[in-house]
Amino acid sequence: MENLSKKNNILQNLSDIGLQRILAPAALVLLYIFFGLFGRNFFSYDTMVNIFDSSYYIGFIAIGVTFVIISGGIDLSVGTVMMCSAIIGGTAYKTWGWPMWISLLLILAVGIAFGFINGLLVSRLKLPPFIATLGTMMISMGVGSIVANVRSATFPTRASEDGWFKSIFKYIGDDGFSIPTGAFVLFGVAFIAFIILTKTKMGRYIFAIGSNKEAARLSGVDVKKWEMMAYVVAGATAGIGGISFAAVYTTVMPAQGQGFELYAIAGAVIGGTSLSGGIGTVFGTLIGVYIMSVLRAGLPSMDLQAHYQTFFTGVVVIVAVLLDIYRTQKASVIKIATPSKE
Amino acid sequence: MSETNNLVLSMKNIDKRFTGVHALKGVNFDLYEGEIHALVGENGAGKSTMMKALTGIFPKDSGDIIYLGKPYKPGNPKEVLEEGIGIIHQELNMMDQLTVAQNIFIGRESTKLGGLILDKEAQYKRTLELFGRLNMDIDPLEMLGNLTVGKQQMVEIAKAVSHDLKILILDEPTAALTETEINELFTIMRDLAAKGVGMIYISHRMDEINQITDRVTVLRDGEYVGTKTTLDVSKEEIISMMVGRVIYEEPKSKSNVPEGAELVLQVDKLNAGRMVRDISFDLRKGEILGFAGLMGAGRTETARALFGADKIESGQIRINGELVHITSPMDAVSHGIGYLSEDRKRYGLATGLSVSDNAILASYDMYENGLFIHAKQVEKVTSGFVERLRIKTPSLNQLLKNLSGGNQQKVVIAKWLIKNSDILIFDEPTRGIDVGAKSEIYTLMNELVKDGKSIIMISSELQEILRMSDRIVVMSEGRITGKLSIEDASQESIMKYATMQKYKN
Repeated sequence: MENLSKKNNILQNLSDIGLQRILAPAALVLLYIFFGLFGRNFFSYDTMVNIFDSSYYIGFIAIGVTFVIISGGIDLSVGTVMMCSAIIGGTAYKTWGWPMWISLLLILAVGIAFGFINGLLVSRLKLPPFIATLGTMMISMGVGSIVANVRSATFPTRASEDGWFKSIFKYIGDDGFSIPTGAFVLFGVAFIAFIILTKTKMGRYIFAIGSNKEAARLSGVDVKKWEMMAYVVAGATAGIGGISFAAVYTTVMPAQGQGFELYAIAGAVIGGTSLSGGIGTVFGTLIGVYIMSVLRAGLPSMDLQAHYQTFFTGVVVIVAVLLDIYRTQKASVIKIATPSKE
Repeated sequence: MSETNNLVLSMKNIDKRFTGVHALKGVNFDLYEGEIHALVGENGAGKSTMMKALTGIFPKDSGDIIYLGKPYKPGNPKEVLEEGIGIIHQELNMMDQLTVAQNIFIGRESTKLGGLILDKEAQYKRTLELFGRLNMDIDPLEMLGNLTVGKQQMVEIAKAVSHDLKILILDEPTAALTETEINELFTIMRDLAAKGVGMIYISHRMDEINQITDRVTVLRDGEYVGTKTTLDVSKEEIISMMVGRVIYEEPKSKSNVPEGAELVLQVDKLNAGRMVRDISFDLRKGEILGFAGLMGAGRTETARALFGADKIESGQIRINGELVHITSPMDAVSHGIGYLSEDRKRYGLATGLSVSDNAILASYDMYENGLFIHAKQVEKVTSGFVERLRIKTPSLNQLLKNLSGGNQQKVVIAKWLIKNSDILIFDEPTRGIDVGAKSEIYTLMNELVKDGKSIIMISSELQEILRMSDRIVVMSEGRITGKLSIEDASQESIMKYATMQKYKN
């Protein structure tokens, strides 16, 4: 009996140190192998490209939303802001005749502007983040439709002169061989986000604010400024997401984007970001996003329609959070060091 | 009627231990029908613990409770109330958005049609009748939140009394009341006493104890000191019973601050809310200025105003002779003030972050190049302070929530030392910390002032005040009621000022 409990203790300690960090990546690898074994044609280069292609835009906004969640807030507007900025950029190019590169910068600027507004509403005007970003979610959806006059915006095709920007996210050679270069862009943005979160004052302040806002304030931290910056980052990633969406899908419809924010939040949560703030990693978020993408690509290969993806994503979110709660509970039980009674 | 017939409650040899703390050491207390019995003692003397043992918040370890002539084992608070023991806490526990009548009869609503529908009419009548019995004049249909604090408290008393009470416990009921309201409260208390309700009255205000109570029981450090008839005992006697004669630690005999030490902080007529009225004092370089007083005297509020955490209404603050404007903690920190909160988990620490993250939190500006943090330098400086303050942690990356209270406190101190703050406000620096860590923090404070830092130390422990301070400021009810040099200070003189009501509201 004693031996058994000792063994359990060792297992528990192991799980406390490492399991959380390796659980999500391990789940991703296992899922990939699972679909590879049981799905049709899953282990193929095309599927891989497909997985990468379908995860850019959610990936970008998930990184941004990770900043906001770590700061102790939530951003429901990232999805619609992304689509709003994309459609405004498309309208600028097509209807107003702006040059391509300025239109792309406009997409980024619109995203940042919305982030700025969210940040002001939350940090200065003290609106609860849920309400503030629920409002901007609807506003951005409306703004996109108004600017585009309820018409879809079509970006140039790859063949046309202004189609160069598509190669940023996907390189297609003359022989039709394609490289998902967008993955590198996503990793690049993720790396910058990682550096900001861990190596700069801003990142550390965002963690401190999310962990204990009042303590941060009483340490002389400019809480308003840095809390706002988290939302600005989310806005910026929504802008980058908008560019990637335009590049991959070419046509942007008005009033799209609702629901994307929930996938972004789900990605962050699966990756171990805590909704109560102060805990989270960019790496975890990327893993979360790819778990969802693999589900999306893998389920059809097992003759399950794509909408099963939402079902299973929901299951994954719940399991991930349950595991997290269970783990922290166990950790606190160990800390109190109550004598075991078995 | 013989006396034993009249005895409602008798508590004998009540003992209670928490982990590491012997909170009640064989305490006695009894209460007669219609008696108002004061229970007094310093903060932490065991008054609340005693009342919690009586009302079933937690069980006693040993001792006897005799209630209405029978051995009594309190169940949960709701059962206790139904059995006739009610308690009015300092903070009101009612719902602002409901009417007076709804608040009083919540959970016991009048109904009709076999319990399906609320009978507002009947409830209104019940409330009016209750108020009539208590000579209270309050509209049962008024929203509770629209009443003054004093009236709300009366509603709470009415609610308790509606349970047909034998014992009513009042825990500092006058703390938030104006003088008129206090008088009204006393009238109601005398009325209840005439009806035979025994009352346990917890208060720090000596004048009120003289005015309203029949007997006084004094507790000190969880021990029973004695019970006196109020008429036979003077204020000074009660105070000396409260503070006791035993000195556990040698108090400081004289100030360590040299004559003519420069003034680092001058506060002139600071006002900030109800609890900070006309506060003026000076702090000299190398001085530990003790802020003594009872809980709720306004010391923490003063510190928070000074630190920019709460809004300052008026008054001037000079640092090193220069007039400064402090509107936020950022300002205060940039002027070299550091604040160690009394509630470190809420206001001092991000317990979900690491030791190093917490220690460096106020000082990132000093350890970055505008773009990146100098991780190596941060590690060097934090590990240096971890060593100097003897913070026991397995590593700099350990999460703060896994450290003991004393070590957490040291991390907060490290935070301000890394920031190189010159004026340190220590608000209850040793609260919830074990004895060993306590004396380490004392040693550290003495080292700091030797290095030329200045410390404002807020403490509710008189021995701590006397042991550490060079000078003492005593506050009561939001005002400074006394200033003492360490040479003149004694537990009695401090308590005298601390229980003084200098101005009525």
